Amino acid sequence: MSPTQDLSNLSDAELMRMEREVAARHLDKFPYFAVIWAFSNLAVWLALWPLVFMGILPLWLGFIIATANITLSYLPSHEAQHDIIAKPGAKLRWLNQLVGHTSTLPLVLPYQVAKITHMDHHKHANDPDLDPDYSTHADGPLQAVWKSLYNRQPRANGGFNAYGEVLQRKGRMDVILISVAYQLVHFGILFALAWSGYALEAALLWWLPRHIALTYIQYYLSWAPHNPELTKGRYRDTRSFRSILGNIGSLGMQYHIIHHLHPRIPLYRTPRAYWEMKPILEARGCDVHAL
Amino acid sequence: MVQVIKSIFYLGPLLFGFGFLAPLVSQVIQAVSWTPPFGLTPLMTGLIVGGGYGMIAQIRGRWI
Repeated sequence: MSPTQDLSNLSDAELMRMEREVAARHLDKFPYFAVIWAFSNLAVWLALWPLVFMGILPLWLGFIIATANITLSYLPSHEAQHDIIAKPGAKLRWLNQLVGHTSTLPLVLPYQVAKITHMDHHKHANDPDLDPDYSTHADGPLQAVWKSLYNRQPRANGGFNAYGEVLQRKGRMDVILISVAYQLVHFGILFALAWSGYALEAALLWWLPRHIALTYIQYYLSWAPHNPELTKGRYRDTRSFRSILGNIGSLGMQYHIIHHLHPRIPLYRTPRAYWEMKPILEARGCDVHAL
Repeated sequence: MVQVIKSIFYLGPLLFGFGFLAPLVSQVIQAVSWTPPFGLTPLMTGLIVGGGYGMIAQIRGRWI
């Protein structure tokens, strides 16, 4: 199938059959890169602390590396949330869970919270009442950055604060308590470091990089693929887009539409799946004109 | 349970102001070798600035 082929005359059933055939070619591929990425990224971030404390690495450089580390910490967990590394019951299931739990530690985002809210996002994408990530919607890029910061304010109702409401609605008090424990440990470590004379290190290796990372992640993973002109529905709630920072700079999100249609396709296979599936997506009326 | 959790975090901004921002401001002052006015020590200045900002955030419900 050529990327420019016109399939608009095909029936829904034929389009679905072709879509599934393309998806099948990219499913069940072990994401080696995501697994290596998860552990090496966490190791580098943890290594920054002794390196900076011992004066081997300057704090300004540690800040830049920490910001990159924390920004990159979400995606391996995202692969685990979708059981891409190993399905329940599989031999490597422990690895899937280990990646899920450990990679987002610098983000202070418990795996259980990420998984439950993300599954709800897939189920209710762009629904103002049920999509946990709907609060990132904004009219433009600058408003999206502002919204991300605003949602993190103490009495805001969006962002991570909205996740608490989702977990409460689903009756997951156990997961809320895990989230509370994460927050208390996070702030406990920050306060202890600060009063021990390491406030600058705590601020520049964790606190500020985490806020920059959250803004970047919410911009590219939530706002850019689900901009306000999109609505609900399998072929309407997300799109492909062209980022000025490219696919790597946008954390692999240019082809996000593939992820929503077939969430178990590994991130590294989404570009290839997109180009193979593009005529089908066009025939479905998807917003795939930017790429 | 939810009310207990909310009450734990209710004073979050104030605690963050005194617990983190105050020593942070103090250590920034020392790092740039700035002498605070009115004979204040860096830590006293940190407590006033960090704690004050935390108090404002506590009342307004937002930092920015």
